[in-house]
Amino acid sequence: MGNSWTGVATWKWIANDDNCGICRMAFDGCCPDCKLPGDDCPLVWGQCSHVFHMHCIVKWLQSQSTNSPCPMCRQEWKWKAG
Amino acid sequence: MTTPARRRLMRDFKRLQEDPPAGVSGAPSDNNIMLWNAVIFGPHDTPFEDGTFKLTIEFTEEYPNKPPTVRFISKMFHPNVYADGSICLDILQNRWSPTYDVSAILTSIQSLLHDPNPNSPANYEAAQLYRETRREYEKKVAAIVQESWNDDDDDDDDEGEEDEEESKAGS
Repeated sequence: MGNSWTGVATWKWIANDDNCGICRMAFDGCCPDCKLPGDDCPLVWGQCSHVFHMHCIVKWLQSQSTNSPCPMCRQEWKWKAG
Repeated sequence: MTTPARRRLMRDFKRLQEDPPAGVSGAPSDNNIMLWNAVIFGPHDTPFEDGTFKLTIEFTEEYPNKPPTVRFISKMFHPNVYADGSICLDILQNRWSPTYDVSAILTSIQSLLHDPNPNSPANYEAAQLYRETRREYEKKVAAIVQESWNDDDDDDDDEGEEDEEESKAGS
C-alpha cells in the first residue's frame, strides 16, 4: 500500500470587503450571471480603490448614458491597471 | 425563473429582515418579487410623527442598474411628493447608484420626510406653506397623518374590521 498525496488548495480574492456592492453576492462567490467563481468571474479595481465583480461594474457602466461614476464614491470610474 | 434582479431582491429582503432599519418595513408582494409593499412610519419630531404611510416599489429586470419606481399609496402632503404619490428624490433619479438596496431607499425617503427640499417642489402648495406659513403646513400634514391610519384595508372599506371606530377624525 503506497502513500499517495491528494492536493488541496484554497484561494481568496484580496478585497477590502466581503460582498460586491452591486450584486451583494460574496466576492468569493461569483456574480449572478456566472455559475463558477474564479478566473471566469474576476474582480476588478478602480483607481478610486473600489472593487466589484467585473461583470457587475461593466453592466453598470453600460447602463449609464452620459457619465460613468463609481457606484461607491461617484468619482468617474477609471480602471486600475493590473 | 430567477434572474440577477430577482436574486438581488431576495438579498435585499434578507437584509431588511436581518438588519431592519428603524421606522420602515417592506416585503415583496405575495406572488411577485418585482413589486413590493412598504410602510414608512412618520419620523419623531416631525409633523409626520405617528403616521403610517404605505408605498409601493416597482422594480424592473434592470435593477439594481436602474432605480425602482416608488410611490406613496397613502395620501401625502409634502413639498417633494406629487399628487399621484410619486416622489421627487435625486437618488431615485439621476443620483441613483447600484449599491443602493430597498433598505437604503426606504431610509432615504424617511429622511426626506424629515428634511423637505422646498427648492425643487413637486407640490407647490406644500412647498409654499413649508417656507412661509409653517403652522398651516403642519395642519395639513396632521390631516394626512390621520388619514394614514384609515387606509389599513387598502381598497374600499371592508366591513369595519378591527377597531376603526376609534379614528373618528378620519376623512
